[in-house]
Amino acid sequence: MLPDLTTATVDDRVAYLNQRYKHHAAQAVLERALSDEAVGRIALVSSFGAESVVLLHMISLYDRATPVLFIDTQMLFEETMAYQADVAQQLGLTDVRTIRARPEAVAAHDPEGLLHKTDTDACCNLRKTEPLERALSNFDAWITGRKRFQGQTRAALDFFENEGDFRIKVNPLAHWTPEDVQDYMINNRLPRHPLIAKGYPSIGCAPCTSPVKPGEDPRAGRWRNQEKEECGIHFINGKVVRGPLPVEVEIEEEKPMNVIVTDQGFVNDDWAHGFIAAADLETSAADAPAVAIDLASDADPTILAGRLDGVDLIRVDFPSFSDGRGFTLARRLRLMGFNGRLRARGHVIADQYTMVRRSGFDEVEIAPELAKRQPWEQWQARAAWQSHDYQNRLRGAV
Amino acid sequence: MSRRFTPKVVTANDLIEGDAVWLSADDRWVRQMCEAELIEDAERAEARLKLAEGQGDIVVGAYLADAQAGENGPEPTHFRETFRTRGPSNYAHGKQVEAA
Amino acid sequence: MYKYNDFDEAFVRERVAQFSGQVARRIDGSLSEDEFRPLRLMNGLYLQLHAYMLRVAVPYGTLNSRQMRQFAHIADTYDKGYGHFTTRQNIQFNWPKLRDVPAILSDLADVEMHAIQTSGNTIRNVTSDHFAGAAADEIEDPRPYAELIRQWSTDHPEFQFLPRKFKVAITGAPNDRAVVKAHDIGLRIVRNDAGQVGFEVIVGGGLGRTPMVGKVIRDFLPKEDLLPYLEAIVSVYNLLGRRDNKYKARIKITVHENGIETVRDLVEAEFIQRRELFNGADQALLAEIEPAFAQPDYITADSQGFDDFYKADPVFRSWVDTNLTEHRQPGYAIVTISLKAHGATPGDATSEQMRVMADLAQEFGHDELRVSHEQNIVLPHVHKAHLPAIHARLAAVGLATANVGLVSDIIACPGMDYCALATARSIPIAQQIAERFDELKLEHEVGPLKLKISGCINACGHHHVGHIGILGLDRAGVENYQITLGGDATENAAIGERAGPGFSADAIVPAIERLVLAYLELREGPQETFIDAYRRLGAEPFKAALYPDEAGGRKHAA
Repeated sequence: MLPDLTTATVDDRVAYLNQRYKHHAAQAVLERALSDEAVGRIALVSSFGAESVVLLHMISLYDRATPVLFIDTQMLFEETMAYQADVAQQLGLTDVRTIRARPEAVAAHDPEGLLHKTDTDACCNLRKTEPLERALSNFDAWITGRKRFQGQTRAALDFFENEGDFRIKVNPLAHWTPEDVQDYMINNRLPRHPLIAKGYPSIGCAPCTSPVKPGEDPRAGRWRNQEKEECGIHFINGKVVRGPLPVEVEIEEEKPMNVIVTDQGFVNDDWAHGFIAAADLETSAADAPAVAIDLASDADPTILAGRLDGVDLIRVDFPSFSDGRGFTLARRLRLMGFNGRLRARGHVIADQYTMVRRSGFDEVEIAPELAKRQPWEQWQARAAWQSHDYQNRLRGAV
Repeated sequence: MSRRFTPKVVTANDLIEGDAVWLSADDRWVRQMCEAELIEDAERAEARLKLAEGQGDIVVGAYLADAQAGENGPEPTHFRETFRTRGPSNYAHGKQVEAA
Repeated sequence: MYKYNDFDEAFVRERVAQFSGQVARRIDGSLSEDEFRPLRLMNGLYLQLHAYMLRVAVPYGTLNSRQMRQFAHIADTYDKGYGHFTTRQNIQFNWPKLRDVPAILSDLADVEMHAIQTSGNTIRNVTSDHFAGAAADEIEDPRPYAELIRQWSTDHPEFQFLPRKFKVAITGAPNDRAVVKAHDIGLRIVRNDAGQVGFEVIVGGGLGRTPMVGKVIRDFLPKEDLLPYLEAIVSVYNLLGRRDNKYKARIKITVHENGIETVRDLVEAEFIQRRELFNGADQALLAEIEPAFAQPDYITADSQGFDDFYKADPVFRSWVDTNLTEHRQPGYAIVTISLKAHGATPGDATSEQMRVMADLAQEFGHDELRVSHEQNIVLPHVHKAHLPAIHARLAAVGLATANVGLVSDIIACPGMDYCALATARSIPIAQQIAERFDELKLEHEVGPLKLKISGCINACGHHHVGHIGILGLDRAGVENYQITLGGDATENAAIGERAGPGFSADAIVPAIERLVLAYLELREGPQETFIDAYRRLGAEPFKAALYPDEAGGRKHAA
């Protein structure tokens, strides 16, 4: 039940809010957060980075006058500055407040702008944490775009967090997957940060952000080659924590994950249930929660006849880009009535993306090496696969 | 080596122009075969071919072609390579006019 | 003629833009040659012996004067003032620079043309009867279907990376002028017992290393089932065709190794599925295409001038007798313009010649031209009253050679004068044979004779189906020419038989001369053509003419 707001601790309020909104979607959480008395005065803190536009857009739908705090560290990419202005204008946000470090503090601690080279934590503190803390002092809560998928350090993120027993942090997108973000951006035709196309899935300050290789964690480009994972503006157990958060999970040595190419961009593989060979389908457990099949390029698709109902995903192998059997296999599987997810895996090149999609595949799985050689722009150039298609005309497809 | 090495030249086609070019001793791609380097041993041939294959931004399809020493430099031994130094036989096009 | 609609136009422009980007990426180094090669091949760009070569499709061989003039413009602007018409109704430009190719493709798009799928392991330019829509023996004009197939096969997502290239030919006449039995799929428009018009579908024909005559996979296919049936065949081939050996990858080998019955069963099963994918939109599109191929607005004119000129001028008479074919419309004729002047390169036309042909088509030919697989240009609809004027203007630019169907009307591939795959030259042999028979003044006496020359085993010059075929090979570093006899490219398709050991470049022309002279000796009369005499007598007397010393040697030994 609603705690008595005059006496309730932040903990009480956070517990109440998480309980109340646990089954809500991101939009609902945000909408309520903007008006729920238990939240109080609230601002959105936005870096105008790669994915910020999602929350900015949601805000613009519910209340354009919501204060948006934009921290200009004065170390940002030029592209971010231009993007910030564009997005604010396009979405009609009426209260964007640019937050900067006090000039005297910069003059005192980082006159040459080189502090980041020697002490990134001190730099973050000077240019980000301190100005933000100052700006947030007038608010009871703030909205962030952090998500669980963004790294092991955020794996248990809730919608509402207690920040130091004096403020609430709202994470409406906590449960979103990369695909949700991409879908939202596509569906709402939101402008993309210009650096995404250049290999920066996560964007911070220019000196400390590098492009991420396909297959890497999207945040791997932040403070690369340093132990740092979070900037200094997060708090643990009521205490301000500067520098890396304690890592509790053992990091396994893993080879880089393959990249999944979708119409929206490169994403990480979200399929977590493994694959079985097509021939093993018969002997697989009938009660398996999710079934995915690997189909070789020389396989006879009719071996799957009558069994496609229980299959969620089929992954067709492309041993070489010149081996075009996979295209016909995909078409055949669709003709056999397979409605699940269909993935092309292996040596598929960017210039083939149109063919892949048109022959019935949903997505492509490529090795990190290939993703690096043929970055997203090359695939994107072929992502408009529905247009200029003779087959659609001949088949009267919608 | 039990067999004598047949001398070679490294040849390819120019990426932009498409015409036949040969690798000279000073690492240039030359338009006339007589200016090419005549390679006399297998090891050198391999090294030179490797160099050529690394220049995909200049030439396409580098390979080693048999050649022999002539008065003015390397000469082809096979008729296909002879045509490449000249051009087609039905019109005075290609290298036969450039050389003239 | 078919006119591009907005969709076709946008499609071709999009492809030009794509390829421009790819060329730029190649030149700036972001695409390697390995990555670029399949992309350029998809757009008809080869790298040959002396230069790049751009192969431009003339779909089913039909073009108008504006398109022909654009070829002339391209030849003058980006090439050396000429183009080469091929045995697959394409035109090749032999000297483009890589940088210029996007501009050439853009110029082609301006006249509704492209170079898409003229190369690569995909469905190539669909070829057809060069007399389609004009021939008197036609059941139906095949070109609306050819256009439908062009649209269906263009950028077909399943079939851009087949085991090997895939060629489709279609004819609407019982007399096969499109060599349909030597194609991966051959389509003949036929009438069934009930009087309905449909297709006989032939599969697995082809020349090259292992020449085969195609086999009938379906006697009668209803017209509306064309696309699903084609799709069934190609998809079966895509999965079943061999990918382990380039020389065994064509569908002719698939059919040969699996048997036509197995292939037919698979195709018919797949066809049932594929038919679900077509809901009549293709037929609606076909209905939109058909009017574009309606008969032209024929004129009536007085042919007295023609008759008088025919009687008076023996040169004109000879040309009319040799280069004209009966037209379905009274008073009209089909004119074949020979690109085989004695001593010229078969299939080549200068930009000046192209412009003259374009002018004639525009002024006298209902603005239509055709490219024949025999590497000639056809004016399909000409009123006889205009023939004297046409002849005079052709003669002025060396295009009035009266040799169509004769021994000097030679099909020849570019051979080692241009082609990177060739093992010997073809063009000089063709030139010398034509010149020799011109000297002998014998070719009209010899009559119909199909001589075809290929410069390598891939058989672009169709030597297997020539009455006399010549195959150029490399024998230990020397050009060597092998003769085949008795081939036939018509509805009675047959693969020629190898006559014996090959001849050197110096000896091949005299050998052909002996062969033809022997025929004149052997025939029962002028009405018995070379191929008829060959069929009656068999190879032996011809071989004896080819190898007189050997025959003599055997006599001595005996």
